Amino acid sequence: MSENYKDILSNLSTSVDQETLLLYLQGKLSEDKKHEIEKQLLQTEFDEEAMDGLQEFKDKEQLQYMVEMLNRDLKKKTEKKKRRREKMNIKDQPWLYVSILILIIILALSYIFIRRMLTNE
Amino acid sequence: MKGDKYQHITDQELLEKFYADHKNEWLGILLQRYTLLLLGVSMKYLKNEEQAKDSVQQIFLKVIQELHKYKVEYFKSWLYMVAKNHCLMKLRESNGKSTVEVNDNITNKADEEADRQVLLQNDHTLDLLELSLKELNPEQQQCVTLFYLQKKSYQEVSDETGFTMLQVKSYIQNGKRNLRILIEKKQEEEKNNK
Repeated sequence: MSENYKDILSNLSTSVDQETLLLYLQGKLSEDKKHEIEKQLLQTEFDEEAMDGLQEFKDKEQLQYMVEMLNRDLKKKTEKKKRRREKMNIKDQPWLYVSILILIIILALSYIFIRRMLTNE
Repeated sequence: MKGDKYQHITDQELLEKFYADHKNEWLGILLQRYTLLLLGVSMKYLKNEEQAKDSVQQIFLKVIQELHKYKVEYFKSWLYMVAKNHCLMKLRESNGKSTVEVNDNITNKADEEADRQVLLQNDHTLDLLELSLKELNPEQQQCVTLFYLQKKSYQEVSDETGFTMLQVKSYIQNGKRNLRILIEKKQEEEKNNK
């Protein structure tokens, strides 16, 4: 019984995984399991408020689809950034800077050479 | 959502991996764990399914930007604060009213929680809890007892008491908060009497 009393005051975060939460919202869990989830969702304000909001969705079956769409979009965003950075890393290769430097030196030398030729004429 | 191959890695470890190489991929994995909760919080405040979906996408972007700027220690608490502030800002924009930004001191909150857990180990606190339970109003007392001590689900409590599910939830949430306040008051009184 004292363990049950401890549950009332406990605020330790024990996250419920999203799949279980979806099953709960769709009413697909046993009463015992429901109680466990409800108890855990009272642990933090984040979980409590999220639960209040999720109950307001009209079609609970659609929630899984919405989450999948949002996750797909998130994945695209985080992967795109990674590719862009990888491209930048390629540009960061030292040979590129050496080539640019050599090109500048050749251009400068050519300029001096042509200028001298023209002055001599 | 299924088959998360990073399930064994904690939020903290994913954050550390991100801070080590700054690859957004880690944040993608981390944020995916909270999509449903963020959708719920956004819906709670915005009361519109489409706006809630947009809000989640905006929160994702904000989190990715912010995490590049500074280090976060308690990710879940921080994420909740970002999400709540974002929703309050959206409400302010649509209502033209001012709202108060939440700026909790997360470190202090975590410390307080650690103190609370230490208190729980104390049998005396549990005695105070038992006493305080009797001081709650009858509805809260009945719902808290059925839920925590008799391990009934909201639905079962609702069936037994005749309250709606929303009432049951509210009585339990408020009862739990009131119990904390009552216990803290009693502890304060005991300190003063010593």
